[in-house]
Amino acid sequence: MTTTETTAKAPSRWPLRGLLLRRLRDGVIVLWLVVTVIFFLAHVVGNPALVFAPVDATDEHIAEIHRQFGLDRPVLERYWEYLVGLVRLDFGESTWQQRPAIDAVVEALPSTIILTVVGLGVAAVLGVIPGVVAGARARKPFDKVSNLASVTALSVPNFWLGLLLILMFGVQLGWLPTSGRFEATSIVLPAATLGIVHGGRIFQLVRSATFEEMSKPYVTVARSKGLTEWNILHRHVVRNTGVTTATIVGWEYVRMWGGAVFAIEYVFAWPGIGLLTIDAAHRQDFFVLQAAVIIAGAFVIFSNLLIDMGYQYIDRRITAS
Amino acid sequence: MSTQPLLEVEDLHVTFRTASGPVHAVDGVSFSMAPGASLGVIGESGSGKSVTARALLRLFSITDDVQISGAVHFDGQDLLRIDERRLRHVRGGQIGMIFQDPLTSLNPLMAVGEQIAESLRLHRGMGRSEAASEAVELLARVGIADPDQRATELPSSFSGGMRQRVMISLAIACRPRLLIADEPTTALDVTVQAEILLLLDELRRSEGMALMLITHDFGVVAATCSDVQVMYAGKLVERASMAHLFERANHPYTEGLLRLVPRFENTHTGRLHPIPGQPPITGGGGSSCAFAPRCSHAIDRCRSEVPPEVAVGPEHLSACWLAADRAKDTTEAGRPWSRSP
Repeated sequence: MTTTETTAKAPSRWPLRGLLLRRLRDGVIVLWLVVTVIFFLAHVVGNPALVFAPVDATDEHIAEIHRQFGLDRPVLERYWEYLVGLVRLDFGESTWQQRPAIDAVVEALPSTIILTVVGLGVAAVLGVIPGVVAGARARKPFDKVSNLASVTALSVPNFWLGLLLILMFGVQLGWLPTSGRFEATSIVLPAATLGIVHGGRIFQLVRSATFEEMSKPYVTVARSKGLTEWNILHRHVVRNTGVTTATIVGWEYVRMWGGAVFAIEYVFAWPGIGLLTIDAAHRQDFFVLQAAVIIAGAFVIFSNLLIDMGYQYIDRRITAS
Repeated sequence: MSTQPLLEVEDLHVTFRTASGPVHAVDGVSFSMAPGASLGVIGESGSGKSVTARALLRLFSITDDVQISGAVHFDGQDLLRIDERRLRHVRGGQIGMIFQDPLTSLNPLMAVGEQIAESLRLHRGMGRSEAASEAVELLARVGIADPDQRATELPSSFSGGMRQRVMISLAIACRPRLLIADEPTTALDVTVQAEILLLLDELRRSEGMALMLITHDFGVVAATCSDVQVMYAGKLVERASMAHLFERANHPYTEGLLRLVPRFENTHTGRLHPIPGQPPITGGGGSSCAFAPRCSHAIDRCRSEVPPEVAVGPEHLSACWLAADRAKDTTEAGRPWSRSP
């Protein structure tokens, strides 16, 4: 109640403070839920001692490993311990790498950031420009063709598209590396895969935003003034959909972190946080798995918050003036 | 008819192709306007009056699948046949247009001065600063106080009436020879309505431009126009001078519309007399008078043949099988709309 009162007041120097505080609180709650779910999922389903022990280990040997990892204690006790550790930014020790789990995540993070930023660049180019043109020329041949292409791009499973590109440009043509991150060109195929899949979605959203804007009466008025379609598009429509487009691209970046990047990194053995997560899950390296999911989750939550705040800020400035 | 007409529309047909089949919104409309004339086009929603106006400049939304035929002669060229480049020169430069809803007609994110200047730079070849100062002049011309400041503001800081003034200044910016106003006052308060009509009339006289005013309100036409044409289901059913039409409305539809204008003289009848029934959704294409189903005077012929336009007086045409008889009738009886039916 108090927060709504503060936002209802005359615009202060920090007009979004109330909203920001509420979103931060919500973000922390969501993050706690993520931690809880991933912790119990891992600890109830898996048993790292079994994975870690040699094939011929005896039951006693396994029980010994269990004790070493502290897995013999009640799960709620371990959960509480873990939460307390998190508050001190202690993410636990990796069972496989024999070092703090957070170190493994921090090491993998730059690779993922590079891949997603380049992938988003490709997606934005593939999605925004054709999206604007198709929306402005709705139901014309270009719209129909590009619409079909984008629906195909966003419906195809991303890992399958990745494999297809590997077959074509890696195996058949031999132009590009298909695995790991050893050369500068290693990024081309995974970034292209990400770009195509997400570009398809960006295209759809930008197209419909442009189309909607083009259907507004002021566009007919602009036409009645004798403006060319090109002038109408770049002087009026694209300017007015700019904020929406930026938001669409921002959301798509967040979506990458929530999904495609995991499958793509795995297919291309890209040493990022996605590959780390999947490997950690296979090895039942709980603390690395948890650290990776929490960091990725935090990234998604706070990117969302940033985009939201940015949008609100611009939107309020527009409606206020 | 001594002067060369400014605008001459011949047998205009406009058909929208929709999912549920073609809709003939305008069905063979012909008329002309002299330079500086003021013509009111009146009719119910869906009568094709707005579509007629839009067809003159081929101004349709990207979503409309529309087919136009006929001819629109303006300034020695057929607007339906010239290429896009020359049409753009006419749009805004020779023919200005004002739309119904001033709230959505302006770009919400562009300063109003800039929106006016855009036209000036395009058609009058002005530079940035020259266009900006001319835009301020134009805002002052349409009665906006403090135009210097207002020119820099966004449409959201203007009231409905003020936005329509901005729209008018935008439409007259390049001194067009014809101004088309499509229901310019429908979305406005009554008091604001009168101001806008006064402004339009005053501008028409001072700028020497012709005015085509589209409306469903006889009061609006009476205040502004010297000639009227009545549209029904995509056709012109009657045309005359304003004074003549008020005195001697011939077509039963016009008569019905006039009866709907509340007047002090006939308040003693206690109520208005609506025309029974609804106008057809798809006009034209039929082999009968489109108004016949709602007409209390209809005879058999009305249901089997399309009535031609008949001259019933000096420059007074009516598309009705009974036009000649009714012309005699109305002369004797005086104002048909002031009688109780």
